[in-house]
Amino acid sequence: MTLIMVVDDDQDLAEMLGIVLNGSGFEVDLVNSGDQVMPLFSAHEPELVLLDVMLPGMSGIEVCKEIRKVSMVPIVMLSAKGDSHDVVLGLEAGADDYMVKPFNPSELVARIKVRLRRSGGDSHTSLKIGDIVIDQVAHTIIRHGKTIQLTRLEFDLLVVLAKEPGRVFSRDALLSEVWGYQQAADTRLVNVHVQRLRAKIEEDADNPTVIVTVRGVGYKAGTGYE
Amino acid sequence: MRAFWGIRHRSIIFRVIAVTVFFSVLLITIVGSVLYLQISSEILREKLNESVSETRSLVDYAQGEVDATIYLPALKIDKVVDKILKSGDLTLAASPREVALIGTPRTTGTPGANSTFNGASGGVNIQSIPLTLRRQVVKSGDIKWVRSWISYRDGTRVPAIIIGSSIEIPRALPYELYYIFLLKEQNIIISFIGRLLLLSGLLLVLLIGAISWSVLRRALSPIRDAAEIAEQLTAGDLGRRMRVVGQDEMTRLAISFNEMAVSMQQQISRLENLSRLQQRFVSDVSHELRTPLTTIRMASEVISDNKEKMDPAVARSVELLQSQIARFEVLLTDLLEVSRFDARASILEVKETDMKNLVNSCIDQAHVTDNQEIVVNFPPESVTANVDPRRIERIMRNLIANAIDHGEGKAIHITIKQAQTEVAVSVRDYGVGFTSRESLHLFDRFWRADPSRSRLRGGTGLGLSISLDDANLHQGLLKAWGSPGRGANFVLTVPKTPGISIEREPIPIDPPDELSTIPIDPEED
Repeated sequence: MTLIMVVDDDQDLAEMLGIVLNGSGFEVDLVNSGDQVMPLFSAHEPELVLLDVMLPGMSGIEVCKEIRKVSMVPIVMLSAKGDSHDVVLGLEAGADDYMVKPFNPSELVARIKVRLRRSGGDSHTSLKIGDIVIDQVAHTIIRHGKTIQLTRLEFDLLVVLAKEPGRVFSRDALLSEVWGYQQAADTRLVNVHVQRLRAKIEEDADNPTVIVTVRGVGYKAGTGYE
Repeated sequence: MRAFWGIRHRSIIFRVIAVTVFFSVLLITIVGSVLYLQISSEILREKLNESVSETRSLVDYAQGEVDATIYLPALKIDKVVDKILKSGDLTLAASPREVALIGTPRTTGTPGANSTFNGASGGVNIQSIPLTLRRQVVKSGDIKWVRSWISYRDGTRVPAIIIGSSIEIPRALPYELYYIFLLKEQNIIISFIGRLLLLSGLLLVLLIGAISWSVLRRALSPIRDAAEIAEQLTAGDLGRRMRVVGQDEMTRLAISFNEMAVSMQQQISRLENLSRLQQRFVSDVSHELRTPLTTIRMASEVISDNKEKMDPAVARSVELLQSQIARFEVLLTDLLEVSRFDARASILEVKETDMKNLVNSCIDQAHVTDNQEIVVNFPPESVTANVDPRRIERIMRNLIANAIDHGEGKAIHITIKQAQTEVAVSVRDYGVGFTSRESLHLFDRFWRADPSRSRLRGGTGLGLSISLDDANLHQGLLKAWGSPGRGANFVLTVPKTPGISIEREPIPIDPPDELSTIPIDPEED
């Protein structure tokens, strides 16, 4: 069974989340404060983390950074302030997606399922984007013989761009293909993750050649350094 | 503002200077005239005294000469007269003079005045000797004088002292002998003194004006500073203070001015803090409510999943619970939006938007019952505007929902019109409408026209208030017209590009199908 770690200081909400997720067939670890996350995380190795932004002890953003140091597990933030700067900080710290309270439980489950989805596993061909080779079976990317660690979301984002090298993807298109949003959503998700991905795969993140910005439209696969 | 103040300030200076100059001119004129008159009359009196004594001796000499003709027949009377008349030029007197001899007309009035020896030196016109003087001379027989103008035969006129006396010419009737002392030199001196006085008077007035101007400027400079700093305070630069120098009245002005500024600054920052705290409070409350609301919502979903196993009353209760939770959520969202407007934290996210598409999608999303008719009147050309589509959509959804709520099932007309730089959308219903008294509160928060009815659809009561804020954020207008029983008309006008002020409204607020109307402008209440 898939184990999900739920980190929220509100015990009732955490318990309720546990009930809903159990009902959807997930196993749940409940954690009430930020500083308890890391020991439990290494012990149980959950497959996804639901993380409240405002936590006592250690803030959600700090927790997020700590998890990213050791794992590429999907992280979904829970926030009471959708418009706040905290959300961007959380995304920059490595969270894949966020949900604003009060959210619809079925939507939460849908989001979690998208994040746990195994993408690209069906294809045996290896993709190239710029000077990067994507091995969809081994789920790794290699540049100049070196393996680069990506989160599942970053991997998906790169694969979507690499599969159609000529196409310019609008932010809304990426939100739909990578995040699974059917309606208009927060384009900051795309901006922040493209930045994070560039920091990992570009030689010079300020002058990107693998993921190129098309002003006013979106992003497309670049040719890399020839 | 500054220029306006400057003119007023200058007018104070000018007023004081005008008064000062007026009185100094008056005083200097009086003093100058007195001095001028005194000096000139002194000069003339001197000349007169001199001339009178000279005339006395001259007349005595002339009479002697004339009398001598009686005893010395060798002397021809006309030669003597000629000599007397020429004495004006011949005498080595210091001042130029003329002589005139005129026969006195007979007192009995018989015609034929004695005029045999009439004559004058240097071409003097004897007619110009004043008659009053001649009468006095004839009457008294003594020396008489007058100051007057004397004219020559060639027409020139010269000021002079005319001194006359009667003279007896033997074997002839009485004659009058006049000595005319020309005042050329004295006149030059007097007019020179006059010009001197005038010039120094003028200089004095200018000097007084200049001094009072500079003194006033200096005295008024603290007031000017105060006004300038007051302007800066008004503009929001609350840290400005006046310089405090010296210990005079102006220093007291500066000190009390600064005290006022300090107390104002404290008061304002206190109010700012209060309102910031209040806004924080609203925002915090809304956020704090979200976590328990999430739990409640999830719990209700879980319960709702088992609805088919429940008693019908319990199942209905769960439905009610869920709908009220949804309403609570909307209310929270609206409250947050309002607190963002109050904190001025709202930001326009401008996108090029197709207004016809936007309005159409709002109509599609509206909860329209089957027999509700919505009539659209859109222009054939495309209508695009750079607006925040989320906010415009919110306004339109709200206006359409209101129209449906209060339209009593009658048709709703939605119109789009554009001008060069503006786009307008109107939503017209033919339902209950509202009175002009109600219209005053239409855009108030949580205000409901009719408490018994309008909770039907569960609006939050914040809709129109948020819509107005959204319109204002675009620098647009949201106006309302209403009449009881005849319906309502709401018109949203926004500039096609943000930051441009609205010059005209493509759709007037008065509906064309209503003649006597009272427009309601939410800006005015």
